[in-house]
Amino acid sequence: MSKVSAMAHLEAMEQMRAVPLTVFRHRRLSIKPLVIVPLTMAGEAGAPLAAMAGTARTAPKLLVVDQPRNRDQRFAFAADLGRIVMDYINSHRLHRRDVTSRGDGPTSRYSDAPQILVPNPGGIKVLADLGRMCRFRKTDGDYPVQPVVPLLGMWLTFLAESAEQAGTSMLLPVTGMLGEHWATGQSVMEDQNLASIMGWIAPADGVSVEQAIADAENPAVCPPAGPATSPEFDKTYLAPAVKRFDDARALGDPTAITAAETDLRELIGEQIKPTWRLMWSAISLLRAVPEAPRTAARFERDLASFTAYSDYQDEGALPQRKRDAAIGAARRLSRLERAQADFEADMAFDDSLVLADLRSVGEAFAGTVTAAETDRVVTTAKNRRVPRPRITVTTDDPVRLAPGVILISPSMPNNHKALIISSAPDEESTQITVEITGGMGRGVVPQKGTVPSLGQRIAYLPDPGWRPTPVFPEPDSIPWTHSSLADEDPDTDTDAAEGWGDAD
Amino acid sequence: MKAAVDERLDGLRGSAPRLTYSARSLAALENNPRCTLRAVLDASGSDKAAIAAHAGFPTPFGQSPFAIARGNAFEALVKANGCAELIRVLRETLKLTLPEVAYQDLNDVGGNASPEVRCTRTRQLLVNTALGKFPGTLYDHPMLRLQVGGHTVFLEPDLVAFRIEDRFHVVEIKSFPIIDDQADPAQVKAATTQASAYVIALRAMLAEAGIGPDAVSDTIVLVAPKDFTNSPTAAFVDARKQVATLTRQLTRIERIGDLVSLLPEELTFDLAVDEAGKAQRPAEELAAALDQVPALYRPDCLSHCEMAFFCRSRARACASLDVLGPTVREQLGGIDTATMALGLARGELTADVDQAEMAAALRHAARLRAEVLGQPGGAGAAA
Ligand code: SF4
Repeated sequence: MSKVSAMAHLEAMEQMRAVPLTVFRHRRLSIKPLVIVPLTMAGEAGAPLAAMAGTARTAPKLLVVDQPRNRDQRFAFAADLGRIVMDYINSHRLHRRDVTSRGDGPTSRYSDAPQILVPNPGGIKVLADLGRMCRFRKTDGDYPVQPVVPLLGMWLTFLAESAEQAGTSMLLPVTGMLGEHWATGQSVMEDQNLASIMGWIAPADGVSVEQAIADAENPAVCPPAGPATSPEFDKTYLAPAVKRFDDARALGDPTAITAAETDLRELIGEQIKPTWRLMWSAISLLRAVPEAPRTAARFERDLASFTAYSDYQDEGALPQRKRDAAIGAARRLSRLERAQADFEADMAFDDSLVLADLRSVGEAFAGTVTAAETDRVVTTAKNRRVPRPRITVTTDDPVRLAPGVILISPSMPNNHKALIISSAPDEESTQITVEITGGMGRGVVPQKGTVPSLGQRIAYLPDPGWRPTPVFPEPDSIPWTHSSLADEDPDTDTDAAEGWGDAD
Repeated sequence: MKAAVDERLDGLRGSAPRLTYSARSLAALENNPRCTLRAVLDASGSDKAAIAAHAGFPTPFGQSPFAIARGNAFEALVKANGCAELIRVLRETLKLTLPEVAYQDLNDVGGNASPEVRCTRTRQLLVNTALGKFPGTLYDHPMLRLQVGGHTVFLEPDLVAFRIEDRFHVVEIKSFPIIDDQADPAQVKAATTQASAYVIALRAMLAEAGIGPDAVSDTIVLVAPKDFTNSPTAAFVDARKQVATLTRQLTRIERIGDLVSLLPEELTFDLAVDEAGKAQRPAEELAAALDQVPALYRPDCLSHCEMAFFCRSRARACASLDVLGPTVREQLGGIDTATMALGLARGELTADVDQAEMAAALRHAARLRAEVLGQPGGAGAAA
């Protein structure tokens, strides 16, 4: 957040409608995403109540658990959802193309990757919990489950972990995607209400934004997008309906059971359908926003990690461990931080509004070339003569970058690199002298168009690639204080025997 | 002096029965402690939910019957058979050496369940235990008492206090899960704050008998379902910070008189309920009364305070930056409204000395946005 983004929120507040926060959509939007709207039962961790899922607005599948506290029904639900998710994932594991491999990674990649969209961050949490609940389940023993259950568990865990990494696209909350592109006149927390943020962006015909956001908070008008259903709904409708189902089952009366089931499905269908429709409206809105150029390059990384995990599965995967060991956690944190910095730099490079954010806080600048020494040549330590042109950019931006920072530029060809030599404030503006260090070709004379010319408008931002990759100790050199035996333990799984007793 | 304050508070509440603080409402003090409106409503024992609803802004703060049932079932399971499960996790999970366990149920005293009687009994037992005269270990349903703003508040259930190595520990039983040793931080925080109220009350009670605060640990024991099962697990949670914070909030309530004395004499939130139980006070009049008290709305209020929709509508009406939340707000330090921020950004308002720097930054930001949006497509080359 910077003052430029803040300005967008102020405009939204003033105009009572959402305004763009970015020029582009920075997330890939699959041509065929799998939309899942999960609902859970209040107060129960990992007790799925229902889910609506499908790859098209029409003909979604509705899965309902009649008694969420019953473990058999719960895993029957997981198996049903598992089949939908695995069919979808497998449909992306048909075509591979060769890639020039660096190191010993796979030499080919799948040409497409899955994309699961859920309404909000809570939806991601539900899938992550479901993944955790399913991945250690066994297909034999005392509490056997269908083979698709642990498979779903491992894949959901993979997807949920990928979702923590900035810039990935395989599992995303739609409210997050909307909030990345549009600024509303309300808080981040309120923006996580799908109906509410949609109310700011595109209220239904004839409905004002004021009305739309008020409706969004009224569960009687607009059922919540989950994962929890509204307490009012639970009290008035759901609890009695679940009880009718329990009673019917206790009596063993097949007609009553069927009637109660139909009842529940209808009830939950009515709660979930408005969200389902909103999800697809949101997707069409997002589709209409042009995709940022660097999204494609980021998607390659998704394809690589999807392929790698997929191949691991083909080799007979083990479920992911419960918690990272100390080194694993540190490595992971470092990877996440790096991905975040790279994603931010990518966005700023692609998107002049995001760049404006950085400019307003002095972490990037744009201005006019007011002096240029284009034929400057230096001799390197290896006695090689190389072009090192210097230019001076005059900018009104409050630059805070120090000499020595390596820069990249969205206004120049891709591999252009420059180094800040000096920065001199002068009244309202600042004069920054930079030395061009890369992207000029191999000769001693720079290729045409690779050095900014006098009078040219140009923008610069720091190169995120300059940071060194941290080195972590190998597992056997970890000081014992940071190593835990438990980390090495094979998963001792006691949950399989857990009693969900009360309802059975 | 005190009496005068009480009289004012009674006047503010009007004819409605006084609502007392509970551990939950005390815990809520931690959020937005500087809001005068809430401080005054709480201290006067007013019914915030009823007031908000009558003013036209009912806040849907219900709890699902499923969540309630789950909470009760889990607590019952942990406490069944003289807290057998609790003792198991204390021993196995927390590796505590509990030699012989003496379990005391303080739920009622010889059939008398009045808070006063239970409280006296609790004090007698706990003080004697602390003095080493009584070998107790586990106390179920003790009844504690705390003076809040000059009023007695009884705090109870859910609580088991156990004593080990000469210190009492507060146990908080919650039904949110601890999955792979991790629980939702927001829920842990709420549980810890609630337990902090018990720590403070327990210390206050022992202090009356001349026993120092060290007799009560400020590390609490959180008992919650393990992973996706019904079986409990436990964790130590350090509550030092929250005990200190809550103690500070309680001192603030003691000084409620300072806040109240700034309010108009005749101010009241009375709903003028008639014999049929219907509120007769005109809604606008009630809203106008509420408007006399400074509130400090933040989006957080939506998850903590029954007045949230009311306060948000007020904040929206004056284009307060509070509606946007802290991330935007901290970009605009010293400026209170969107109107002011946009006025400065567009050069339509002149900045005073304090705002000069901010105004320049805003003008720059506005120029940047206009520069980009003016360009069709705003494509890549930002210059
Ligand atoms: S909702 Fe209103 S009364 Fe409650 S804490 Fe927030 S500002 Fe204060």
